[in-house]
Amino acid sequence: MFFIKELTHTILLHPSYFGPRMLQFLESKLYSDVEGTCSGQFGYIIAVVSISDIGKGMVLSGSGQAEFVTRYRAIVFKPFKGEVVDGVVSNVTRMGFFADVGPLTVFVSHQLIHPDLKFDHASNPPSFTSADQVIEKNTKVRLKIVGTRVDATEIFAIGTIKEDHLGVIE
Amino acid sequence: MSDMEEDTLPLGQSSDPLQFDDDEEEVEQRHGSDKKKGKQPRRRDEEDEDEEDDEEEDDEDEEDDEDEGTSRGRKRQKRRHKRSAVNRFLDVEAEVNEDEEEEEEDEEYGRDEFIAEPGGEGEDEETSRRTVHHARLDRRERELNDQDLARIAQDVSQRYKRTAVRYTGDMNEMPQRLLMPSVNDANLWQVRCKPGRERDIVFSLMRKAIDLEYSNHPLSILSAFQRDSLAGMIYVEARSQKQVAEACNGLVGVYPGRGINLVPIEEMASLLLIKKQDLTVTPGSWVRIKRGKYQGDLAQVMDITENGEEVGLKFIPRIDLNPKDEVAPDGKKRKKTGLVASMGARPPQRFFNHEEVVKVYGRKTVTKRAQSYVFQNDTYKDGFIEKDYKVNALVLENVNPTLDEITRFSKGQDGADSEMNVDLSIIAEASRKAAIAVLQPGDHVEVFEGEQSGVHGVVDSISQDIVTVTPVGVDLEGQKVQVPARSVRKRFKAGDHVKVMAGKNADETGLVVAVAGNVVTFLSDMSMQEVSVFSKDLREAAEVGAGTNTVGNYELHDLVQLDHQTVGVIFKTERDSFRVLDQNGQTRLVQPHQISMRRDSNRAIATDAEGHELRVGDNVKENDGEGRKGRVLHVQGSFFAFLHNREIAENGGVFVTRARSLVSLAPKGSLLKPGSDLSKMNPALSGGAMPGGMAGSGGMGRGPRDRLIGVAVSVIKGPHKGYFGTIKDTNGPIARVELQTGNKVITIDKEKLHRRNPDGSHEPLEARGMGPPRNGGYGGGGQMRPPPVPSSWGSSGGSTNNPYADNSGKTPSWNSSRTPNPYADGGRTPSWNSRQTPAWDAASRTPNPYANTGGFGGATPAPNSSWGGATPKTGGWGGATPRATGWGGATPKPPAASTSWGGATPGRSNDWGASSPQSWESSADWVGFLFDLFTLSGSYLELHRHQHRRHSARLRQDSVHLHRCLHPPPRLDTAQPPRGHLLGCPWALTCSLRHPRPSLQCSTTRTASPVRALSI
Repeated sequence: MFFIKELTHTILLHPSYFGPRMLQFLESKLYSDVEGTCSGQFGYIIAVVSISDIGKGMVLSGSGQAEFVTRYRAIVFKPFKGEVVDGVVSNVTRMGFFADVGPLTVFVSHQLIHPDLKFDHASNPPSFTSADQVIEKNTKVRLKIVGTRVDATEIFAIGTIKEDHLGVIE
Repeated sequence: MSDMEEDTLPLGQSSDPLQFDDDEEEVEQRHGSDKKKGKQPRRRDEEDEDEEDDEEEDDEDEEDDEDEGTSRGRKRQKRRHKRSAVNRFLDVEAEVNEDEEEEEEDEEYGRDEFIAEPGGEGEDEETSRRTVHHARLDRRERELNDQDLARIAQDVSQRYKRTAVRYTGDMNEMPQRLLMPSVNDANLWQVRCKPGRERDIVFSLMRKAIDLEYSNHPLSILSAFQRDSLAGMIYVEARSQKQVAEACNGLVGVYPGRGINLVPIEEMASLLLIKKQDLTVTPGSWVRIKRGKYQGDLAQVMDITENGEEVGLKFIPRIDLNPKDEVAPDGKKRKKTGLVASMGARPPQRFFNHEEVVKVYGRKTVTKRAQSYVFQNDTYKDGFIEKDYKVNALVLENVNPTLDEITRFSKGQDGADSEMNVDLSIIAEASRKAAIAVLQPGDHVEVFEGEQSGVHGVVDSISQDIVTVTPVGVDLEGQKVQVPARSVRKRFKAGDHVKVMAGKNADETGLVVAVAGNVVTFLSDMSMQEVSVFSKDLREAAEVGAGTNTVGNYELHDLVQLDHQTVGVIFKTERDSFRVLDQNGQTRLVQPHQISMRRDSNRAIATDAEGHELRVGDNVKENDGEGRKGRVLHVQGSFFAFLHNREIAENGGVFVTRARSLVSLAPKGSLLKPGSDLSKMNPALSGGAMPGGMAGSGGMGRGPRDRLIGVAVSVIKGPHKGYFGTIKDTNGPIARVELQTGNKVITIDKEKLHRRNPDGSHEPLEARGMGPPRNGGYGGGGQMRPPPVPSSWGSSGGSTNNPYADNSGKTPSWNSSRTPNPYADGGRTPSWNSRQTPAWDAASRTPNPYANTGGFGGATPAPNSSWGGATPKTGGWGGATPRATGWGGATPKPPAASTSWGGATPGRSNDWGASSPQSWESSADWVGFLFDLFTLSGSYLELHRHQHRRHSARLRQDSVHLHRCLHPPPRLDTAQPPRGHLLGCPWALTCSLRHPRPSLQCSTTRTASPVRALSI
């Protein structure tokens, strides 16, 4: 699920940056630092919407670096158990397939794939096939997240397509 | 009623004779004492009432049996009468007052009268008596109620126990402790004997005793026994040691000579104690074989002999299908070799296959009987071997059959039914005991059998075998259910994050994908493989498994040395072994002890397809073959690279490839717009391995070579005098020189070497400083020779500390090689700064030839002549320094002074002087900045690489000189440079300092290059 969230980020700035272009640099640094990262608590930070407060630089004694506590608003994506999402299959193995849901990788085990869809050993690229459906790389699927593993820097989820209205979407 | 009474009562009653031959007196006395004694009478009464019938019968018996005086009968009668007539209240009164019989009677009557009177006044006697009866009934009932049930039960049991005691002889019930041996009993002696013959010896002792029983000298020992658990000793019971010795005399296998030891009294009993052995072997149960070829193998019990000593087992055979000596003609030899082979590496478990065995061992060796085959004296049926084992050769407890083993077992010979139709109930049953142990409060469980079957909930508490569960459901919400622990199992659902607690996969974590009964399948976090385990072995876990990665000292993704030629990367850790992918792409299963060492490839550097440096952690892609992407885990021998990619299923995502076929996926620093990425330009933020450095830095070496290495020399002293050679290595004052003749490498003092110039002239090694002219110029490609040092320089300066001061004066004093020339410094620095310092670009947009020179690549486009020409700022160097805070500002001399320098310097070309301001500016910036850094935190820059340490002494001095330059009033003493500054001496700085000496200029390229190897 997507949220707009107010977050903070601390930037340490080397004294050599202190100068007229500092703010510009801070901004670009903020974007490069946070966008695309993932925190277990908030999920993936997709994009910084706005910077509410770039912060006042506090020069740290001892190192001469300045610390800016930046507040910004960002779009975050956090997957939840039970959430139905659309994804693109990125990898198909005998055990199931991996689907990319934006930055999130979801694994759908063959146990959670409808038994009609069988892994096709002969196919290339590897695929799960049934009478009327084929799941291979780059197939768009709709799946339901059944579990997530949240690390500090990564979220991994497993999903199912073994329910009504889930599976390949055209 | 107190307990006292209960105690006294049986005593009184147990003295039955009293009751039986109770003469008048005693009876009366008893009654009398009853009444006197306050409490007892009532107890007595109860007794009476309880056993009224008994008593009455007794009484009648007494009356019948004993012919006594009528007086007694009368009295008794009287007593009866009294009791019947007496009402309750009176009785109580009487207890207190009555002392003597006569009195008692009189008074009783009187009281009777008295008491009866009030009732009798209005009513007739009949009514009053009825009232009395009622009262008595009430009282009895009340008292009955008063007695608690336990008390009644006790009474009853006491009564009947008493009778039991009365009628059975109590001699049988001798307490055990009285039977224990004491000092008065015969002693037990321990005698050594031949192990294995204990039982025989005891029998011979018995025969001997029988033999000699009626002879003149019968054996005086009392008994003898042995214990199976105590091999090599028998025990003889006798009064003295001598008797034991006599008894053992002449018996073979007994060694009384080795001592007849007295067994301490307290140990005697335990020697005879028979431990209760409960054999849990039942047909169908699982055991493991303790010894032999099948050691540790799982077997199923088929039958048990009557005495329980032998067990018929069924298990998977290990037949060697590759016996060493296959061509041996005679069956005998073949058999022998087969046995030998089995002793070594034992063959794998395989189901018996008639055809295969016949093929290898010949048709004769296998005979068929009904449904089974006989081969090498073993019976094989349905692929299994069926064999009898002694119970003590089996492990009966903690068998813990694994899912794998059971699956194999149930698959049978064909392996056909892979449908997992395992009778899991067998294991489930076996593992149930364990399941109880692993339950913890908070676990989510479900009840799978019994009344509450289907209920699931959270374990609230566990006591013994009873689990209290708070059900999660509709109808039972809020209640607590108690169920036997064996009928609950842990409950997981798809999506749970679980951790394996026990077994082969211990500590593995993953997300549950499927649950079937008590088997849970989850997707491992580490390997992305599916793993099936029993739910009992799982717990819900929040963390990602970490422990699973380490076995012994080795960890997942470690580079390990397998043998001299082979290294590999661990891509999977199992309970006590690893799976390793070696450099040839082979996978193998290794035990920790098979690994000779762990390799560290952090310093290994290989080059990729584009000649760029490949480092551990880089994201790369194959440019041929499958085009796999991955992160570099390890680099081996600068040729192989082990990469890891989670998306690749095989080998846990680890694969090996040639380093030469890899292309970096990281963005090239050089492709970035100049000035856009500030972090690239910031020395503090860019680490040692700048990603940008990958491009354009291909030709760079690993570290600073000693600039003497490679120098052509001739030996001027010693036995090798006159030889020519090349320096291959240096170590302090010693050099290793490869001689041109004889193809020999000698180790020789540097003192004894002279540099040999291309023109054939000689000069001392150190005289030219460290810059051999062979490199020619600033940039390697520049082919620029350093300007010759004006001779006046060296002589003019003397021992000037501050070159500025001299510069401002007439002649720049290039006195000693120790004094760095800020000019040269400047000239040198920009080449470095151009990559690193934004100030350069920012300050002046002048295309600085040095910027490209780089001192790194050697691709200097700028010939010597272009030095100054490109530089617009030809004014005084000091004046041209716009922001040289640490430098220009600190310079006491006005910038104007420096202009004169350029002009005043003989032998200096104009362009040199002209170019310097430019350099000054940037270098001043740079150095000033560095100086700032120094003052901010002296220890914050540090040399990391070992090979630099050697140079540190020189570096220090240079850095000190730098400070001199910065601060004309010398603050730092050359002799004792402060430590903090020394530590903070970066190599880059040294380069710039070295450079000023014209004699060293040619070597700067090399000196400069290690900058990248520094971690600042």
